[in-house]
Amino acid sequence: MTSGRMELVCPAGTPATLRAAVQAGADAVYCGFRDETNARNFPGLNFSGEELAEGVRFAHDHGSKVLVAINTFARVNDVDLWKKAADTAAECGANAIIAADIAVLDHVAKNHKQVRLHLSVQAAAATPEAIGFYATNFGIRRVVLPRVLSVQEIAALNRAIDVETEAFVFGGLCVMIEGRCYLSSYATGKSPNLNGVCSPPEMVSYDDEPNSTAARLSGYTIDRYEPGEPVGYPTLCKGKFKAGGKTSYLFEDPVSLNAGGMIAGLKAAGVTALKIEGRQRGKGYVTEVVRAFRKAVDAVEQGGDAIEIDRILAGQSEGSRQTAGAYSKKWR
Amino acid sequence: MLPRNSEGRLPAVVRHLFPVFTGLPLGPLLTLSLRSLAGRQPRLFDLLGEHRTACYFIDPVDLAFAFTVVPDAERSIVRVVRKSEAATSSVQIRGPILTLLSLLDGTLDGDALFFSRIISISGRTEAVLALRNTIEDAELRPADLLGLRGALARLVDTGILGALDVARQMAARNSRRKAPEA
Ligand code: SF4
Repeated sequence: MTSGRMELVCPAGTPATLRAAVQAGADAVYCGFRDETNARNFPGLNFSGEELAEGVRFAHDHGSKVLVAINTFARVNDVDLWKKAADTAAECGANAIIAADIAVLDHVAKNHKQVRLHLSVQAAAATPEAIGFYATNFGIRRVVLPRVLSVQEIAALNRAIDVETEAFVFGGLCVMIEGRCYLSSYATGKSPNLNGVCSPPEMVSYDDEPNSTAARLSGYTIDRYEPGEPVGYPTLCKGKFKAGGKTSYLFEDPVSLNAGGMIAGLKAAGVTALKIEGRQRGKGYVTEVVRAFRKAVDAVEQGGDAIEIDRILAGQSEGSRQTAGAYSKKWR
Repeated sequence: MLPRNSEGRLPAVVRHLFPVFTGLPLGPLLTLSLRSLAGRQPRLFDLLGEHRTACYFIDPVDLAFAFTVVPDAERSIVRVVRKSEAATSSVQIRGPILTLLSLLDGTLDGDALFFSRIISISGRTEAVLALRNTIEDAELRPADLLGLRGALARLVDTGILGALDVARQMAARNSRRKAPEA
């Protein structure tokens, strides 16, 4: 699939953030409802039907699209909540629904043909066969790529499929095969894929101890910080654990994704849309990141060189450690 | 968890002005303004869900007193309390007063301030998150809290936000000067 001008897809956890993202230059904003149908089901976040309708009006008036994430997996005997969310999104005029569950995809494909279907990253579709299955059966128009593919693999994939691809370029990094992580379920009883929360805040505590602060999830110590050392959110996969007599970040270092330097490469690989993660982040953060990526994407579209892109995105490190993730993986 | 350093704290000259405020019935005034905000924007308090009955202990580390806030819409209560009363609350939020005020008006990113330990929280993390997300969405300005409208609201907003900005710059200069000691 070849792409024209790349689309910048930006997060909105609240109506105020949606407006901020649109005003900062988002081509599309993605958001979700205030319930378990949404993989960012955090307290105080997300949209009611009324707020979504208003958000869609605002975005459309400013030339942006709204994509609604109904991207958790429906529970047995409770599929109606997910179907109703899809109906509301369609009524509100959403441009697309992002879904992973076959029941939700099927419902939208049959009942809301005017709404585009985007396959959520939660579906973990990373082969032409898997993507072809969803395209043939549900008419998906775009697949959000799992964060496990290199740029070369994305290029090969794009040559073999005829739906658009969307790639994450910035924000938190979920390192498991998408949609298949049981760490949070095991430790807290709450699942990212069913309840919409990984490492839920009601199980998080920061405990002061002599000479350190312990960040705990459900009573498990996930990391420990020296006085004055910046702290992190205790996400299980980024915790420090002892195994084989050695204490280390066993699954993944506490880093976040920044593939800003790969925008040109992703464009050449045929990617249609670039996605910024962070629906749980505030509007100050979203404004700043969207503005910088807007400039960077425009510069790439106008043939800007890597040095110029680096300069534009230089302020986006947040002081945290960053990685280009699997996009540049050398081990394959 | 204790806040990290002296970053953004009130300069001594401004801090010395604050005891004047302690003479005012600050608690009842803030209680009234929160309740009248609930009358005008009930949705904000709905967003807090079950956390609206939580007791938030807000501790401006550069002031001599703290606040407890129960943001329960028209039953909201704000009290000016001693720093030692933290234990009775569900959540404790600590940081320099100007930083805490910047969170209210949305000029600073709460996550970044927390992760870099300029503000600190303890207690029920989900209640803090709910409050932070609600405040973020509210886009509150000083006039909203005071229940003002029209030209007077604009005047008050410009005045208070301008004064805050000046105080923040003074505080930043102050902490830069103090940096080597921190
Ligand atoms: S624990 Fe890590 S890998 Fe698992 S869902 Fe959470 S962020 Fe993703």
